[in-house]
Amino acid sequence: MIKPDYEFAKRSLVKLLLEVDIVLIYLNTTWLLLLKWNLLIEVFCMPVDFAITKEQEELKAVVREFSEKYIAPRVVEFEEKQMIPPEIIREMARLGLFGVVIPDKYDGLGLDPITAGLVLEEIVRGDPECSLAVTFLVHTSWGYIACKYGSEEFREDVIRKAARGDLWIGIATTEPGAGSDLTGISTIARREGNEYVINGEKAYISGVREAREKGTWFKEGGGHVTLTYTDKSKGHRGMTFFFIPLTHPKITTRLEKEIGRKGWSFGSFTLNDVRIPETYRIGDEGRGFYIAMEGFDHARAYIALTCAVAAKRAIEIAIDYIKQRRAFGQPIAKFQGVQFQLATNWSRLEAAHALAYKALWALKMEQEGKIGRFEVTKIVASAKLFAVETAKMALDDAMRWMGAFGYTEENPVALAWKAVKSYDWAEGSSDIMRLIVARELLGREYIK
Amino acid sequence: MVTVNSKQNPSSERLNIVVLVKPVPDPKEPPKFKPDGTLDRLSMKLVMNPYDKYAVEAALQLREALGGIVIGVSMAPPHAIDALREALAMGVDEFILLSDPRLAGSDTLATSYALSMVVKKLWSKLGKVDLVLCGVESSDSNTAHIGPEVAEWLGLPSVSYVDKILEVSGGYVKVKKLIEGGYMVIRVKMPAVLTIAGTSYTPRIPTLRDVITARRKQITTLNADDVSIDTSKVGLLGSPTRVIKMWAAEIKRRGKIFTDTDIDRLIDNFLAELRKDGVKLK
Repeated sequence: MIKPDYEFAKRSLVKLLLEVDIVLIYLNTTWLLLLKWNLLIEVFCMPVDFAITKEQEELKAVVREFSEKYIAPRVVEFEEKQMIPPEIIREMARLGLFGVVIPDKYDGLGLDPITAGLVLEEIVRGDPECSLAVTFLVHTSWGYIACKYGSEEFREDVIRKAARGDLWIGIATTEPGAGSDLTGISTIARREGNEYVINGEKAYISGVREAREKGTWFKEGGGHVTLTYTDKSKGHRGMTFFFIPLTHPKITTRLEKEIGRKGWSFGSFTLNDVRIPETYRIGDEGRGFYIAMEGFDHARAYIALTCAVAAKRAIEIAIDYIKQRRAFGQPIAKFQGVQFQLATNWSRLEAAHALAYKALWALKMEQEGKIGRFEVTKIVASAKLFAVETAKMALDDAMRWMGAFGYTEENPVALAWKAVKSYDWAEGSSDIMRLIVARELLGREYIK
Repeated sequence: MVTVNSKQNPSSERLNIVVLVKPVPDPKEPPKFKPDGTLDRLSMKLVMNPYDKYAVEAALQLREALGGIVIGVSMAPPHAIDALREALAMGVDEFILLSDPRLAGSDTLATSYALSMVVKKLWSKLGKVDLVLCGVESSDSNTAHIGPEVAEWLGLPSVSYVDKILEVSGGYVKVKKLIEGGYMVIRVKMPAVLTIAGTSYTPRIPTLRDVITARRKQITTLNADDVSIDTSKVGLLGSPTRVIKMWAAEIKRRGKIFTDTDIDRLIDNFLAELRKDGVKLK
């Protein structure tokens, strides 16, 4: 007679309930119904749950493996050669990393912003220098927006390629004369039959080289979702978005040198009578400003996460250093002055990290029609503001722990600091974030 | 890449390959033990045995070169199912999990018997099994017994520590095997059991889509009766060996990093430290 193993049975049941929602057990002529805890929560109350699903765990594990094996060992090379090795981009394309939020119908994976955030987190852990974060988050945010508002022909033509990783999608709103004040742009799109003719100049744009050089990083090169005026007299209500392939012969590009995240190019492009089909218009005429604001919310939420994770990763590296580095007869990690900075900064980064996920959750809720546009904008702006400021402060302290070594080119903490610093202005400056949060708290009449 | 000689192998036969996969506690996490001294597998995160990934990769490369089917087989408690999905994500066609409380506590002889019964079942279902592949050993018990023992139960030839499968032709498989300080090439008649050493097969990273698809694939779960296992030969009672105690090794070594801008002084400091530790130098 085999002795029943009750412990085995109990633990197996618990594990089984992690896999399926409902278990029915027939025990001594009685049916027992076991319901998964998550199901009960979902039915009866609003969850605050930091757990991720099994599928998300598995997706994260795959990206972590890729990040540890292929990204982390080559980060210094991104800075030295000022480019991401094309084979890394091609491997990212093979893994499906360029189609994460694009619907299945257009060859994407149709995942939500939280899952995209989990993927991004693993990329940033491998590359706290953030060049790949820029590559991923810009494409993911603006690819999503271009798909949401683009025409069906555009989705079939461009979005499908973007999802497969054959084409990169960037964003171009800033101009030499207009940044935070978007209404100051001077790029004009004029309609001619079924085409638009576009003239103007866009500046401080990411991915100009990678989009221009067809076949090196992406089979089809890439293009930028570009903000223009179709009717300047209407102010921000006269703005329209277009997808502009940077491979267009009437575009000229110029590269700038950033101080950080050097792997992904940065520059400007000039449009000189660039003709594009009407199908490349993203959304209706006059809706460009509003679509831009929605897209910025996506990008800012991913940026908040990037800053929090890059700083946490850099602090982990700094922890190894302060345990080894000795001064005045002991490892510097033994000095309370260092310990208190570490604990304070880490706690703040944990808060920034959690707030970044709340921002991604807000985007998901918006997609499901559960919360409104302005509420999302407020949460996202708070998340970006807090993450950038917190990460800068934490990295600044960590660089100081490392002394002169902290100020060297290849130091991962310095690389992360330079990257995070870029988000003082990129995708909406910290002061613009403050204006948004204040506007949503006080009311529009208190701003301006 | 594997070559196939179609003259000697006129049917260009599609291969039926069985890969044995073991879920093991994640080697990246510290081990937990039960009071009886055995590993507490239920409370530890399980992953696919890293060594088995090489076997899965070898099987997938064979299928890609020659056609056929790759079936994963594992013996584990039901909760191990997640650790096995990675094999499906990598591209294994089907997966069979042999799970039965009566198998708990089986040693390598009992486990290899149970696994061989699953292979026999597959054999009768598919009409033939050409190759049974597995990792050289598992990361949690490192016996390297399972492959050769399964071969013994099935009455098949086996080759351990296969570095590379070189050729499949005329019902034979030619493999390069690792030996002390070198290699050996062996030609063996199929069906055969091969244990794969990791040197030539870098496991592929599955795509995100593969991961999502694998989650939706069904893993067939069988019990001991489904594969006609004689239960007196399995479990703790059917096992001739017992684990008495396991514990994590205490790592006493500590690395020391020497830094100095002057290379001569750096080496002098290093040598002085070695002498201090009793190392005799010239």
